[in-house]
Amino acid sequence: MADLSKMRNIGISAHIDSGKTTLSERILFYCNRIHAIHEVHGKDGVGATMDSMELERERGITIASAATSVNWNGYDINVIDTPGHVDFTVEVERSLRVLDGAILVLCSVGGVQSQSITVDKQMDRYHVPRIAFINKCDRTGANPLHVVEQMKEKLKLNAVLMDLPIGLEDKLEGVVDLLRMKAVYFDGPNGQILREEEVPQSMMDECLERRAMLIEAASDFDDKLMEMVLDGEEPPVDLIEKAVRKGTLELKFCPVFCGSAHKNKGVQVLLDGVCKYLPDPTEVENRALDLDDNEREVLLTADPDRPVVALAFKLEDGQYGQLTYIRVYEGTLKKGDELINTRTHRKFKVGRLIKMHASEMEDINQAGCGDIAALFGIDCASGDTFCGGKVNYAMTSMFVPNPVISLAIFPKDKKSQDNMSKAINRFTKEDPTFQCYVDPESNQTIIRGMGELHLDVYVERMRREYKCEVEVGKPEVAYRETITRRADFNYTHKKQTGGSGQYARVAGFMEPIVALPGATEEPKDYDFINEIKGGVIPTEYIPSCDKGFRTAMKKGPQLGFPIVGVALTINDGAYHPVDSSDMAFQTAAIGAFKEAFAKASPAILEPIMKVEIEGPSEFQGAIFGTVNQRRGMIISSTEDNGNCVVDAEVPLAEMFGYSTVLRSMTQGKAEYTMEVCRYAKVPQSIADDLKKQAAEKEKKK
Amino acid sequence: MEVRELISKSPIRVFEDSLDGGLGKGNLGVLVSQRGLGKTACMVHLALDKILQDLNVVHVSFGANVEHIMNWYKEVFREITDFRSLEDAVDVYERIRTNRVMMNFSQENVSVENIIKSLETLIRQGSFKADAIFFDGYKLTVAAEEDVKKLKAFAKEMNVEVWFSVSPVRPDVSFDDYGVPNSMEPYKPIIDVLVGLHYNDERSRVIMTVVKNGDQKLPRPAGVSLDPKTMLIVE
Repeated sequence: MADLSKMRNIGISAHIDSGKTTLSERILFYCNRIHAIHEVHGKDGVGATMDSMELERERGITIASAATSVNWNGYDINVIDTPGHVDFTVEVERSLRVLDGAILVLCSVGGVQSQSITVDKQMDRYHVPRIAFINKCDRTGANPLHVVEQMKEKLKLNAVLMDLPIGLEDKLEGVVDLLRMKAVYFDGPNGQILREEEVPQSMMDECLERRAMLIEAASDFDDKLMEMVLDGEEPPVDLIEKAVRKGTLELKFCPVFCGSAHKNKGVQVLLDGVCKYLPDPTEVENRALDLDDNEREVLLTADPDRPVVALAFKLEDGQYGQLTYIRVYEGTLKKGDELINTRTHRKFKVGRLIKMHASEMEDINQAGCGDIAALFGIDCASGDTFCGGKVNYAMTSMFVPNPVISLAIFPKDKKSQDNMSKAINRFTKEDPTFQCYVDPESNQTIIRGMGELHLDVYVERMRREYKCEVEVGKPEVAYRETITRRADFNYTHKKQTGGSGQYARVAGFMEPIVALPGATEEPKDYDFINEIKGGVIPTEYIPSCDKGFRTAMKKGPQLGFPIVGVALTINDGAYHPVDSSDMAFQTAAIGAFKEAFAKASPAILEPIMKVEIEGPSEFQGAIFGTVNQRRGMIISSTEDNGNCVVDAEVPLAEMFGYSTVLRSMTQGKAEYTMEVCRYAKVPQSIADDLKKQAAEKEKKK
Repeated sequence: MEVRELISKSPIRVFEDSLDGGLGKGNLGVLVSQRGLGKTACMVHLALDKILQDLNVVHVSFGANVEHIMNWYKEVFREITDFRSLEDAVDVYERIRTNRVMMNFSQENVSVENIIKSLETLIRQGSFKADAIFFDGYKLTVAAEEDVKKLKAFAKEMNVEVWFSVSPVRPDVSFDDYGVPNSMEPYKPIIDVLVGLHYNDERSRVIMTVVKNGDQKLPRPAGVSLDPKTMLIVE
């Protein structure tokens, strides 16, 4: 059985283009997993090994996490390469769920960017201890010390440098290990030969100062170290390492390493850091819900002898069928074991069990606690829990954001139609933020997701992986409808024309649910308040009213989008001893809702994106202009060293095709990222246009 | 309460009276004191007062975390408006978002010309018609006099009111009775309004004194002080 103290499950997350995939590639190389290095946008046309999907290689982005196992100095490290683009954050979230620690990659020029903040927040949500790697120290304008300050300011991390780069930009030669006070150089064509030297005299003062800062920061986590520091004694390296590890595991300390993956500098020191400071599976608390005990939270222990508890965190459809990536939390999973999927209650037998190394696989006979492995041919969805023995656990549910954009998709022929269903079936299982439904009115297949690129990638994958020719409609924004003031209702539903009749009267009022200024919690989408007195509506029909209102909220009368932010209060009504029924009260509630909604000054809400645009200061004007033309609002602009970062809020509807516009206006020198930040009222003139378009669409049906 | 009432009852009206109606567009005003007396809160209060009047402001900070300043606005808004009783509190609060732009520069790495250029770009290309600009933490006492003159010319050209919050950079300065350091001396002829803040032990308050207002004979009390708890302007 593997020594769990020498196992690490780590993820690599960062802002797009900070070099995560390049870093993963170097890790594979130095751990002898691959024998040649291929660059992301490499001239050899092979692409990076971790970007195994053809599309990823072409676009130079990593879409799906590829899991791979490596060995570094006797430590088994499972590495998950995660996507950097914000449209794919569900992948990031899912990987973080199964990880014990992470490397946060930052660009030494770009520093802490909007997505670094998003990723960092996600790591906080899942209590993932992290170490940071300031990459690209070979780039012009590299300033790792500035990035450390940003980490403290913007990410509120106790970021402390563990090594210092020797030289910067094109003069980057190696790093100084501040703990051991040794200069480390990376020789050989791929930097695989480590050469240790004395610290260059020119850097001595700075290194000693940084070392003192490191020891002082670490001393907060070890009393003995603190004592030695106060007494002016020189503490031993292992004591400092112990303190740094303790602080890191408690999420109160973030060791920072520097280097350049592309130039093969600093990666091995970072790998040592992974082994020294990130937790092993036994040091992380994992919890599950006991489905047999009213979903009571249970703490999982990394005990190899207990029944198996494993989480399916990623699905992939390969040439041999569905491949399910799992993480084992408890017990030992063996070939031939019988497990149960606790969501579907279906039993299955573990056939082939493998360890993945990017796109190559290795057959194994068993996987222990903390291991990341993959199973073949299991019918399941991502997020399912597999249990052995009599255990019936579910791992806590994962946070899944709501899609904000949709588009209609039409197969070109019959064959494509069949393949499209297959593809959609798989993608929706793999990615909970990618959703699909058939519009009952237009009979069109609609796919929904987190952004233009997100849907674009899936459509492209349908074409490539499923040979399915599809046409897509114009992307549509997921609007919402709401009300802006209170309105009363008093509605009677009566149908007493022979046979069994229907009778129900519902009265009360609807009012908007408003978030108080500065409130941190999201306001509720719907609230139902029962103020019925004296049984004017019998108790058994109160849920019927609630159900009726909920039905009415599903489709707004203005554009047909869901209604949100409405509180409904019922305070009066009437019933008939014979003709009243559950159905009658539901129908009355729907009628009441419609009556009041029209009087409550309805409005349309649209998703507003938080957009961060970054580029040379000379294009600031152009950037401001593009935000302004898109009904956007400039929130802030930060300028430093000829670079500017503009934070803005722009309606999603105006952001279609923005990347092309931005690229052409700034000679390709500016880039942007965006994520949903809130929903806001659509201006009246635009709301009128939207209503007109919706009416025309309705006419065509 | 209506927002109009909130504006008319604001202690800032008293402060403006002491300046004969306020700083006025095209002019430079300076709030100066030792560090830690609450100038940022005071400045945010002045800026929020403009926002409540549906005027546009640009908050320019140097080195500080933008998020941190945004939180100041939230906090001060909460303090000055009892939003539970304020009519249309949500719409009024929304004005902070629509009527304010934050700009952040590194004073060491960005020249005053570039700062002016960025502000001009925002006003012209970003179509943000600023009524007032608040320079928070600008190291005025070590800036070149020429730079301050350029900022003044910009204020005139753009017809905006410009406020600075200033603390001396060097430690070897002496303060007068009104909290004004001697390092402010060279800039006095350029600026239009100078308000000194100093802590008064007896009254346990930060007292504001109008030290300069155009060509008037001064100093005179501003009629307002800073509440030691909230750091906001009170009568």
